[in-house]
Amino acid sequence: MGESPETQGRQLANEARDRVRFEEEALQLADQVYRVARRLVHSKEEAEDLMQETYARAFRSWRSYTPGTNLRAWLLRILTNLNIDRGRRQQRAPDTTHLEESDYFLYNRLEDDSHDSFDEERVLQRLSQDDIVDALAAVPHDFRDVIVLVDIGEFSYQEAAQILDIPVGTVMSRLHRGRRILKRHLAEATVGGE
Amino acid sequence: MATFDPCAWCEEVLQPYLDRNLTERERVEAQAHLDSCGACAKRYRFEENLRQFVRMAAIEEMDPELKERLASLRTPLL
Repeated sequence: MGESPETQGRQLANEARDRVRFEEEALQLADQVYRVARRLVHSKEEAEDLMQETYARAFRSWRSYTPGTNLRAWLLRILTNLNIDRGRRQQRAPDTTHLEESDYFLYNRLEDDSHDSFDEERVLQRLSQDDIVDALAAVPHDFRDVIVLVDIGEFSYQEAAQILDIPVGTVMSRLHRGRRILKRHLAEATVGGE
Repeated sequence: MATFDPCAWCEEVLQPYLDRNLTERERVEAQAHLDSCGACAKRYRFEENLRQFVRMAAIEEMDPELKERLASLRTPLL
């Protein structure tokens, strides 16, 4: 038995209202999503393409979003999947074990390099924005993804694990290793290689 | 028997400490050491500043045109 025209009309109106609300909320998060997207890929053009694909897919599949859950994480899950699907990152991360240094590596290198008094507050001024961006881009993508999500996107370990579909323990180990790799690149940018 | 080296331990827990991911007991222990050891406290301050510095430097805002293009992807209202 079919529903009455009034019931159907009300359902359509409700659905349209929910959809509009979803689209507005998703667009409000676009700035934050872009900040992460921009650092997941190398060029601005790639980031913009990825954003458009992500939003096109999100608007098509808005019904699969559960209201009240983290919409920013939901959007980034789509975005990271699209990024992987597009084969931008098919190469595996090289084994970076030998590249790793201790957590204090950058600090120690800067301290060794400073001839007079070492001011830990001001020493960072030696790094330019380009140094940071280049060093981050040089981190192998498996490690960079978690650094970008946690340290730039400010997602929790759990959220990053859900977005990337990997265990929380893997998020933590990649994050810890990735930050050490980043610091090694930053040391090279400021005081040069070994 | 190896003796406990609080500075080495502090280096080990640097990242979970800054991520606020230590147990309360570990956090208190690390804090007590940091309060008494200038060398470790200095390194922790550096790492904290570095994280903030990286976050600020890595932020690049999107072009307003892109935002318009995203908005145009919305389902048209009937």
